[in-house]
This record gives sequence, structure tokens and C-alpha cells, in this order.
Amino acid sequence: MTAPSQVDPVFLARRRWARVGWIYGTLLFIGTLFIGTLYVAFITSLKDDPLEQPFRFLFPQLSPRNWAAAWQLGQAGARDPWLGGFAPGAEVPFTVTYFVPEGREAIPPEVRIPRRKPGAGLGAVREGPYAADYAEVSPVEEVARRPGTYRGQAGTFVRYRFTVRYVGDGPRIERLPADLEVPRGQRFVEATLAPNRIERRGRVASWDNLTPGFLGYVFHNYVRVFREARSLSTGESLFWRWTLNSFYIAFFTVIGNLLFGSMAGYALARLRFPGRHALFLFMLFSMMVPFQVIFISNYLVLRDGIFGLTRLFGLETLLNHPWGVIVPGIVGSSSVFIMKQFFESIPKEIEEAALIDGATPFQTFFRVVLPISTPALGALTILTFQGSWNSFFWPLVVLTSPQDVFTLPVGLLAFRQAYGVAGDWGLILAGAFLSMIPIVVLFVVFQRYFVEGVSFSGLKG
Amino acid sequence: MKRLLVIALALLGLASAQVQVRISGWGGTDVAIVNGVLENVVRPALEGTGIEVVYEPVEGDFQQFIFNALSAGTAPDLFYVDIFWSRAAFASGKVAALDALGVDAEPFLDNLVQAFTLDGHLYGIPKDFNTLAIEFNKDLFEEAGVPFPNQNDTWETFEAKLKAVVDRLGDVHGICVVPDFARFGAFAFATGWKPFNEDGRTVLDENFRRAFEWYTGLVDRGVGVLAQDLGQGWTGGCFATEEVAAAIEGAWIAGFLRDQAPNLNYGTTFIPKDPVTGQRGNFIFTVSWSLYEGSKNKEAALKVLELLTSPEAQQWVLERGLAIPSRAALANNPYFQRPGKEPQLNRVVFQGASQGNVFPFEFRGLGADWMNIINEALSAVLLGEKSVDQALADAQDRLDRLTGHK
Repeated sequence: MTAPSQVDPVFLARRRWARVGWIYGTLLFIGTLFIGTLYVAFITSLKDDPLEQPFRFLFPQLSPRNWAAAWQLGQAGARDPWLGGFAPGAEVPFTVTYFVPEGREAIPPEVRIPRRKPGAGLGAVREGPYAADYAEVSPVEEVARRPGTYRGQAGTFVRYRFTVRYVGDGPRIERLPADLEVPRGQRFVEATLAPNRIERRGRVASWDNLTPGFLGYVFHNYVRVFREARSLSTGESLFWRWTLNSFYIAFFTVIGNLLFGSMAGYALARLRFPGRHALFLFMLFSMMVPFQVIFISNYLVLRDGIFGLTRLFGLETLLNHPWGVIVPGIVGSSSVFIMKQFFESIPKEIEEAALIDGATPFQTFFRVVLPISTPALGALTILTFQGSWNSFFWPLVVLTSPQDVFTLPVGLLAFRQAYGVAGDWGLILAGAFLSMIPIVVLFVVFQRYFVEGVSFSGLKG
Repeated sequence: MKRLLVIALALLGLASAQVQVRISGWGGTDVAIVNGVLENVVRPALEGTGIEVVYEPVEGDFQQFIFNALSAGTAPDLFYVDIFWSRAAFASGKVAALDALGVDAEPFLDNLVQAFTLDGHLYGIPKDFNTLAIEFNKDLFEEAGVPFPNQNDTWETFEAKLKAVVDRLGDVHGICVVPDFARFGAFAFATGWKPFNEDGRTVLDENFRRAFEWYTGLVDRGVGVLAQDLGQGWTGGCFATEEVAAAIEGAWIAGFLRDQAPNLNYGTTFIPKDPVTGQRGNFIFTVSWSLYEGSKNKEAALKVLELLTSPEAQQWVLERGLAIPSRAALANNPYFQRPGKEPQLNRVVFQGASQGNVFPFEFRGLGADWMNIINEALSAVLLGEKSVDQALADAQDRLDRLTGHK
């Protein structure tokens, strides 16, 4: 029997490994949970039918054979292997194979280039040139025939070929939709490019775009995000506009917070003036008031153009204007707080040296203190940018119309309303993934500052 | 001299300042539709009148937005009112009575005008509307050798046709069933049942029970399938994947099918009749343009309202298959006679408003609270959690509490 003071090393080792197992198991579980949902969301954004049941992890957009076909068809359609299209001079060869059961006559498919608008959302009401007006389909010719069995049924595989040509001159068209119809009984087997859907109990194979190009095929929802949602007044891509708006607002919010946050933080940290503590307490108190409490008063102030001051700049109101979002967020008490905490950690001797050299408080601040504050400024930049980029509630209140003034999160809500009702979640997911990119890049590049930012704002108080 | 001229011109510019009329509705695809109407019909007609239209669509909860704006005094001059919450909006006193301002509702379908009339006053001009219809997959019926559903069908003959399709094809269902009063209600109305009696009480009587038993029994009898069992949330979703032979939806299904199943070969007919009463039932889903009582530019707003609901505007919307017009005269529009599945769908939906027992999708301001009780009863029976007796008794009890009769 082991004495109580002696510990069995095997027992210890087993405990250690059990602990490692628990920790890693938990981390792995959490990782799978979060990354797993992201992964499923991502591949859903590539699918033709995001709601398909049962869920498939392998589908045409992930097949290298289709990638190669999409590349070649894009090249043939508009000499653009990436984004494809249908341009003058195009000659798009296409083959398709059908299975004809024994005892039935093989009848070539009827090829139609329909006048079809893309999507059910914003694209459904936009008028544009149709490929149907310029496309000419060659007669469908049979090129091969071989006997075989398909799903346990004996019969013949028949391969057909046709070419779609762009006749004469005209605009470059983004999509070349096509429908191939065969009589009941024949079955679609394969084609140069996998169809987007098989309809009418196997009779119709339907393509949204015969000449998609690689990106246009694999990332078709991502391409649609830019192409379909266009401003009704200017015709430019709304998604681009929303991205630019978000950047514009984030940029000025960051600049404002850096400037005013550091000045106020410095004043509170170093300058001696009456009411300093009261002011600091008041500032802390303002951090505790939820934004929802004051948003109506903020809204009314912006509606009247900050007591009419904006009229000096020719603006009646700040509603539906980017500065309506920037102004209320131009300085936050948390930025002042972060900067104050940082300035207090700088040795006073540095500033005293500047004072002896005859510098004014402003010179000390701008020439001496700010240049050594880059870690805090970096952290503040990142936190503010992230906050501004993701902010939803206030932009939703201020920016209502036209759609051109939205920020990305509000724009994504507009997408959800326009496309969600039609079950077109692929496009919404694509938009969401695109809007995530800047924050992911920011996080990867400036990971260190994120941690510092959290430690400035949270732990040192 | 030049300077004087500039000043004079500037003053003249100030004097003839434009009158702004703000209009608002929900976002989504409506944004494109309203913009289209504004660009093609309204703005050209307003040229030279000094009236400028500012369109402010709202992404997010429009109902909440408009109620907030009405109480805060920041409401737009003209705005949407959905029939579902119209009573609460009109009763607030913040929506102008249009009849007092001389607006003529005569050219609009009477059913729709009634839907926006409260205590004898007209509070909105219906901008468009929808009713329910039966969409059926022609291929499935042809393949099964079963005649298409038609306007003479009763619940029994309609069900028999669906059953024949299911039995002969084997791999499809007849119809998707959803536990939703917005679909089931049409059948309850066909029996002569009314949502409220004279005392304002909802009585789930024998008529209601007959419709309830027929509707919830569809699944047990092998004709229907629960939409969620096919991974869908509505009957249109099941229909697009060709897993069911028919759907009960309004004209809104057209845009969805155009996108999801562009080649689907479907036809449309009226909701089948109750075999006992020989009547059909239906809902009217509609939205009005209403005027803010506190509007400073009522006259200009009325002019814009007139243009927004003008025959030209409705023709523009109709021809694009975006909405069903609310003007009675458009019944004879050549668009409805065009061949093709969408004009047929729109025609049946248009005519559905004046066939049988048609009620607006509005429940004395009780809205979702009232409907939820019936929806839960439907759901409980469809999922086998309760018997019909139990579900109806529970629902009656809750409805009585809600309507203040207990």
C-alpha cells in the first residue's frame, strides 16, 4: 500500500493526460462548432440551391471537371475565362448526353435561350440586354451513340452537339441562360457543364449561364452580389457603394476618435484643472448609459442638422448622410478612457524634460507624448474601426434612403429582405462573407494590438 | 446690372421652391417597384407642378417604424398601411380620412375599399392586392393521366384528383399542408363561418370544425404532407421542387418560381368550393397608400397619391408581373388574356377577390394574437399532439379570453 505522502507517478501521468484530453477535446469541440458552421455557411454560399435537402457536401461547383469547363466556356463566350459572358463573335460549343431507354426513339433536345432575368430579388426588376436577342443556336447534331445501362435500365446513351453563336454586333451580355428539353422518358446524363437544375421530372435541363467563366461558376453568388444589386438612380453596383460608405464612415470615425480621444485622455491624465474628477466620473457614467436611451434625442438633433449648424455646409439635415453616423461616434468615452489609462503609464519625467525645454502643453502632447503612444493608438484604431464597420443599429436609424447611402450591414439587411423571401440565401451568405473580409484581414495583421486594446480598456482600470 | 439679375433670379428661385412630398414603404423588392413607378409615371406627370417626391423605403420592421413615426410626428406624407395592422393605424387618429378630402374611391375594387374603411371613413387607397389560388403542376397531372383541377372542383373532387396523382406516380405528394390560418382560413370561410359574430366573439362552430377536420385530415388520408417534412416553410417551396402536385398561394409565387423553377409547367385555378355550401372562401391581402394627418403638404400629397394609384401606374406594375392592380376597370385589361402561366395566375388571383366569401386579412386589430391560437390548434392536430375535439376546445377557450368573452 502506498503511503499518503508518496504519489503514484503512473496515476499522476494518467491525470495529466486526462486533463490534456479534456482541454484539447473541449477546444476541438468549440473549434468544430464555430469553424464547422462557418464552413457549412461558406459552401452553402457556393450552391445553386442553398436550401437543398438533404444537405450535400459535394456538388457541381466543387468539381474540378466543371471548373475546367467553366473556364473554357468563359473563354469561348467572351474571351474572359474568369468571369465569362457573351460577347460579339462568340462561338460556344456544347455537348450533352441523354439516356434513351430500350424501345424508345432518340429525339434530339430542343435548345432554347430564354429571356430570363437573374434572381428573384433586386435583379428581377432591372431591365438589361438579353442574350436571347443576339444568340443563334446551331442545329443539334448527334455525334455518338453507345448501348449501356443507366440505373438498372437497358438502353442507349446518345451524345449531341450544338453551338451557340453571337451573331452580328451588340453589347457584351453577362449571362447566357439555356434550357434543353427532351420528351418524357429520356434522361439527362451529362453535359459539358453540369446544369443548375433539372426540371419537369427530368425533361428540362436548365443553365443560368452557359458561359460563366471560372469565378462566375464557382463563386456565382459572389459575382451576383456585385452585379445584380444596382442603384436605381446611378446604375452603379450597390454593394461597392455600401462597402465604400462603410470605409468612409469607419475612416473618419477612427480619425475623430484618435484625435479627440487622445486629447481628452491626455487632459484627464495630466492636466490639473478644477472639476477634473467630476468630469471623469461623468464620463464613466456616460459609458453606462445604453445607446438606446439617448438615440431619439440624437436622432432629433441630427434631423435638425445639429441646431441648424450644418446649414453652414449646405446641409439641411444629417439624416441619410454619412456624417449623421460619423458625428455621434466621433468620440467615445471608451476611447478617452483607453488613452487616459495609457498616458498615465508614461513616466512623467519625459514630459517634465519637455517642459524644461520650454514646450507648451500642446507641443508636449503632439511632439513628445503622441509619438510614443503608437501601441495605444494602434489598439484604439483597430477597436474603433471594428466597432464602426460592424455597427448596425445607428446606421439603420439614420440611413434609410436611398439605398445608395447604406452601410454594409444595413445593405445586407436589404439583401435579406429582397432575397430571403425567395429562399435565395446563397447570395445573402456571399454578401455576409464579403463584408467579413476587412475585419478578418485586420485581425490577422494586427492581432497583437487587439489583445493590447482589450488589456488597456478592460484590465487596467 | 448682372448682379441684380442674379439676385432677382435667386429670389425667384426661392419663391418657386419645390414642395416636397415624402413617401415611404418597406424595403426589399418593393424599392425597385416603387422606384420604377416614380421614374416612369409619377415624376414625368409632376413636371412643372413644383412637387418633388422623396421616396424613403424602410429596411427592417416597417410597422414599428411607421407607428413610431406617427407618434413622434415625423411620419412621411404618404405611406403603406398593411391590412393586417390597418385598424390600429387608422384608430390612432394620425391617418387622414381621405373621403373628407374629396378622394374618390369609386374606381377601385369594392372589397378592397371596404378593407380600408373604418367607421364609414376611407383611410387608404389600395395600391395592389393578392388573394389565394390553387397552382397545380401540369406535368404531374398529365403523367398520372388525371384531369387538371378546375373551377368546379369541391374539396372532395379536388382531393380525389390529388389522391389519384399520388397513387399513380408514387413518388410525389398531393399538397403541402401548413399550420397557418393564412391558408386554412380560406376553407373555413367557404363554409359560411365568420371570424367574429355580432358580439365580437369568435365561435369555432360546426362549420369551422368541418373545414378544420378536412384540412388537418389531408395528411392522414395520404393526400397532403407537412411542409416541414419536405424541409420547406411554405407551400410554394414544396411546389417549386416538384414534390407536390399543387400549392395554395397568391400571385407572389410567380416571382419565386421564375427564379427557382423557371420551366415549371404550372396552371392556376380557384380555391375549391365547400361541397356543402357550394361556396368558395378567400382572403384579401392588401396594402394601401395612406395620408399622414399631420402632413403639411396635403394637397401635393393627394396629387402624388392619385398618380401612384393611377391607371398608368397600375398598368406599369401589372405588365411586369409584379403586383395585381386594385382598379376594377383593369379586370378587362388585355394583359390578363395573354397566354402563359403568369397572366393566368394573375387573372385567377384578381378574380378571386370577388368570388364567394372573401374576407380581408385583418382580425379586428387582434392580428397575430388571434391567429396564433388557431395556428397552434392546427399544428397540434397535424402533429398528432391533440385530438380535434381537444384542440378546438382549447382554442375556443383562449379565443374567448382574448376577445373578452370569458
